[in-house]
Amino acid sequence: MSDGDTILKTTDLTKRFGALTANDEISLAVERGEIRGIIGPNGSGKTTFFNTVTGFYEPDGGSVHFNGEEVTGWEPHRLARRGLGRTFQIVSPFKNMTVRQNMLAVQTDDGRSREEKRERVGEILEFLEIDHIADNEARGMSGGQQKLLELGRVLMLDPELVMLDEPAAGVNPALEERIMDHIHELNDEGTTFVVIEHDMHVMKTLADTVSVFDSGRHIAQGDFEEVSQNEDVRKAYLGGTTAEDDEVPV
Amino acid sequence: MSGSAPVLDRLPGDRRYWFLALGVLLLAWPFLFGSFWARIGLGALMWIGLAQSWNMIGGYAGYLDFGHGAYFGIGGFAAGIAMVQFGYPFVVGFALAIVVAAVLAYLVAVPTLRLTGAYFAIATWALAESIKQAALILEITGGTFGLSLPRSPDTFIGIAVPFAISETFFYYVMLLLCAATMLVTYVLFERHEFGYRVKALRDDQDAAESLGIDTTRVKRQVYVLSCVVAAVFGSVYAWYIVFIHPNDILAPIVTDRMVIMALLGGLGTLTGPIFGGLLVFLLQRLSSVFLGSSTFYLPLIGTLIMITVLFAPSGIIGILRGEIGRDDVRKNLKELGEKFDLL
Ligand SMILES: Nc1ncnc2c1ncn2[C@@H]1O[C@H](COP(=O)(O)OP(=O)(O)OP(=O)(O)O)[C@@H](O)[C@H]1O
Ligand SMILES: [Mg+2]
Repeated sequence: MSDGDTILKTTDLTKRFGALTANDEISLAVERGEIRGIIGPNGSGKTTFFNTVTGFYEPDGGSVHFNGEEVTGWEPHRLARRGLGRTFQIVSPFKNMTVRQNMLAVQTDDGRSREEKRERVGEILEFLEIDHIADNEARGMSGGQQKLLELGRVLMLDPELVMLDEPAAGVNPALEERIMDHIHELNDEGTTFVVIEHDMHVMKTLADTVSVFDSGRHIAQGDFEEVSQNEDVRKAYLGGTTAEDDEVPV
Repeated sequence: MSGSAPVLDRLPGDRRYWFLALGVLLLAWPFLFGSFWARIGLGALMWIGLAQSWNMIGGYAGYLDFGHGAYFGIGGFAAGIAMVQFGYPFVVGFALAIVVAAVLAYLVAVPTLRLTGAYFAIATWALAESIKQAALILEITGGTFGLSLPRSPDTFIGIAVPFAISETFFYYVMLLLCAATMLVTYVLFERHEFGYRVKALRDDQDAAESLGIDTTRVKRQVYVLSCVVAAVFGSVYAWYIVFIHPNDILAPIVTDRMVIMALLGGLGTLTGPIFGGLLVFLLQRLSSVFLGSSTFYLPLIGTLIMITVLFAPSGIIGILRGEIGRDDVRKNLKELGEKFDLL
């Protein structure tokens, strides 16, 4: 099934909510080692795509392959332990736990000992430069720190693929830069990323390839310049239901 | 951090000496104060243990279990049926209580733990009610007549019991069970990563799943454990109280008390149920003993709950940490609602 270097592949993936087709036969392949961007107007099905791929939604049709293995309909925790990490559009730290406990809650089946796990927590917190708040409760942290914590938790999975849903939303420019740097660093070390992002500046600097969604369909793919010249993409952003959307990718 | 640390940290001197002193006091209790206070003591220990059992599923996992008392009753009836209907010694009834509670809890867990918030609360409440009704009509449970257990626990696991039938004996049994419950809670929920997973799924189930936590499995484990603990106390209670009736040990008030104790003490904390359990139990006992009224404490408890819910969502533990009035009322209510997935 896998052509060697494809880490994630969806084939005609479809998800409906009643009469609404939120994901309409989406076929998309992500190469190992790349940073894939996903853009599209509000409600175009980006988050739904994440949820269907990672097992939170049962697809109504189509299939998902991860690392050459068919994983359609797998429970989320099983996929996570296989190395598919993700974050959510709305930050979701475990509020009543400390940063460290948030990280230790992550479950893998790599057989790491308690000490090794603790050591890894230390490394990741240091890498993300949040080790000074390791024993603070997550509830008191700023939105940006919570985003970093989320990224840290995902890294505890030692993921091969990380899917980030708007990692820079609501984050100040300095922190945004930091998050982007971290993504680049991790990518250099071999982690593949799929990133949903509305901020076109971020998209431009981050993504190797961009996939464009519109009304549940995957309408275009290419590097940033290519898709921003694409006629369908321009139409998706300028016309239709999201005319007020000012984030035109040109 | 565990709920206990800040409180204990504030004690002057070496913490170990305080633990030691408490241990000695608890061990010497029946001899220091006599059988009346031994009875009060064993009741308090039982209710602290029960409150902790509810706290596992209700506090740590955030599932508003309104049928938990059923397992206390099931434990009681399992022991009673084994001893009365089949003539077995208590230990067999004790083992039966554990097995029956575990099997039933698992069977209940599979469909009901899919539900969230209020739906789970209603489902468990309905289940407890139907179990009580069943016990009232079944022959094996004694129906509306209840069951009278054989009196003398003169041997325990084949060992002769020194203070048979006495309050003192049961005081020590409850002390042992309560201490074991505390230890299990401490190790599993506060020390082990299992506890982090439980709290994680309470705070955000989807995030927990996305991080490799098999939330379905973890929830079932917590539920079964908490139900078994309640059943264990129920079986010993039946042995002690000698006469059991569905309207007593399967009454909704059993659940209500556990909920109130855990809530007042501090949900999802190790020591919360100790404070909450002591407070509610003592208020109830003392008002019935000294004021001759067993209902006098109810309005008082009601008021305390209102204060807790509105101003101190972390209960007595929160107050000891200085959290009272820290936020506005709406935020406190929201926090509590979120804890139980009611919003
Ligand atoms: N659980 C659900 N139930 C019903 N409809 C849903 C559900 N989740 C998403 N939808 C609908 O599916 C469509 C796609 O939503 P989705 O959240 O995937 O969009 P999105 O591209 O992530 O948008 P945004 O950029 O605003 O985050 C929307 O019309 C949304 O209302
Ligand atoms: Mg979205």
